[in-house]
Amino acid sequence: MPLKIKIESLGIQLPEKVLTTEELMAACRHRPRLDLEKLTGIVERRVAVDEYAADLAIGSARRALSMSRYAAEDLDAIICTSISKHHRQDEFSFEPATAILVRRAIGAKKALVFDVVNACAGLLNGIWVLQGLIRSGAIRCGMVVSGEQNMPLAWTATREVRHSLDRQLAALTLGDCGAAVIVDASPDEEHGFHWLDLVTGARHDDYCYSQPSARGEGGILITKARGLQIVGNANFPAYLKQALDETGWELNEVHHVIPHQVSVRAIRQGIKAVGRFMGCDLPDVFLCHVEKYANTTTASHFLALHDFMLQGRIQPDQNVVLVSGASGIVISHATFTLDDLPARYRAHVNGGA
Amino acid sequence: MRRCRIESLGVSPPRQRLFGWTSHRHAVEAGKRCLAASRYQPADVRILVNAGVHRDGHVCEPAIACYVQHALDINIDFHGRRTLSFDLLNGGVGMLNAAHLLAAQMLAGEIQVGMVVASEVNTDRRPDPDSTFASSGAAILLDLSPRNGDGFGAFVFDTREEHAGLYTSVVSLKEPRGRLLLRRRAELEDAYLAGASAAVAEALSRDGLRPEDVDLVVPAQISPSFLKRLPAAIGFPTEKVADFTATLPDTLTTSVFLALDRARAAGTLDPGKRALLLACGSGVTVAAATYKF
Repeated sequence: MPLKIKIESLGIQLPEKVLTTEELMAACRHRPRLDLEKLTGIVERRVAVDEYAADLAIGSARRALSMSRYAAEDLDAIICTSISKHHRQDEFSFEPATAILVRRAIGAKKALVFDVVNACAGLLNGIWVLQGLIRSGAIRCGMVVSGEQNMPLAWTATREVRHSLDRQLAALTLGDCGAAVIVDASPDEEHGFHWLDLVTGARHDDYCYSQPSARGEGGILITKARGLQIVGNANFPAYLKQALDETGWELNEVHHVIPHQVSVRAIRQGIKAVGRFMGCDLPDVFLCHVEKYANTTTASHFLALHDFMLQGRIQPDQNVVLVSGASGIVISHATFTLDDLPARYRAHVNGGA
Repeated sequence: MRRCRIESLGVSPPRQRLFGWTSHRHAVEAGKRCLAASRYQPADVRILVNAGVHRDGHVCEPAIACYVQHALDINIDFHGRRTLSFDLLNGGVGMLNAAHLLAAQMLAGEIQVGMVVASEVNTDRRPDPDSTFASSGAAILLDLSPRNGDGFGAFVFDTREEHAGLYTSVVSLKEPRGRLLLRRRAELEDAYLAGASAAVAEALSRDGLRPEDVDLVVPAQISPSFLKRLPAAIGFPTEKVADFTATLPDTLTTSVFLALDRARAAGTLDPGKRALLLACGSGVTVAAATYKF
């Protein structure tokens, strides 16, 4: 039985400023006729003000360390998995790696550092990489961190969106957030990641892409949302079933499923697709809070984990499934059993530490 | 103990053409050559990592590796044999970073075959004069060596984040389509040499080797001046450091493997020989890896 890894600590850096979907739509030069809030269920999102993607990453890394039994200098690796590398106004940074900036800020003097980029699957991809490094004995513990300042893409969309079928509309469903996860080996077989799998169906690599705009300043996110959803829903339920089978879980043993928080509608469509594939009624285990925080891309699952742990819905020793779909198309699933993390996290955050 | 080895190597060297090759074309060309030289089929590749930094149109999503996977026809459909593709960004040391990760996955029993590709190009219509470099591609296919002791030994990554400002590359979003701005300060080569000295000593120490046990050091071809100063910095005689800078410009992430291809073609790295691969990149990070052919 291979060594299992577990989430040792979690840190979330959520900007304070709230921006409603109505305010964002009102900022569009050519406001589309469609009701985006009704279509997606997204009411509001957080927006980073006077801080950039690297600041969100560093802030979440510091929060994760504040609850961890590890000090920064104990970390053997830091992997930054942000898609948005907006570290200064009107700039997208390729070098140095954002992980270097995190290492420098927190003082992780011995950490191996690099960035892994795999669209919204990045953070799970980073955990998968750490899992291999820990299992091979190359490292003992590490951090995966994302600072997602996605709103520059949304601001470009407010300038460039022309109509209700515009392919930049998905950029208006984004929000900002930073997330950091410290991972180490689980001391027992019962807790930690049982299954962590990512697969790329590269035939479908044209459904979503991001690059600088050809029409003016800023970056753009182009999404064929309907096609992406159709291909995703046609394929991910089989991988979800495989994840459950490989873990040895029946559906009724799963306490929570955290899907990628894209939109309420997309999550509902995904649940229907799973129901069709499984041929049964699904228990009410799918968690959704996208109406409050919108799509925070790589940070999405761990912002949800943070939120539902603080609400008390996710408890120690519960079984959780993470489901992710990302441009590429990358389908990823993780199954894990929590240790006392939810209790420690609540005590830590509510204690004001 | 079985180690991860380079099963095949493919390169797409810099070309003098009226219309330059794209990053995608270089990566795919290198990947095709790598697969053609391999005993493996495309479907055998379980992990594909792209370590190139500068890409066509400055695309930042999806992972460029997805496009390469598609073009190389590596398990592009769901529900068949599966492949995971992702990008790894760490400047000039990215390919060695990726090789290190894949070696770890192989030793952990997660995968049997992996591939690392990288390509570099600046496709800006009006490139910044300080941000030009030779475009190229390189690909390596990795598996577990059938013979104990062959393949990669120690990987060492020496990072000096206090020098992070010496090398930056950003895309300015103020201009339509973006514009690459690559900034390398004069002190960069000194930082590389300091890092190389420490990384090489650490790699040799971890593998219990002395400089005389290494047949050839294959460094990134940063510049003639860097290659001139490197032997003294790492304690190797000049003739043991591969210097192709007369004909091979700095190609960023692909540089070490373009130089390795040249060294192998020259017959200096036959089976049984031991090499030390040395990459330098932003961060500042210097990577050293021992390798037995």
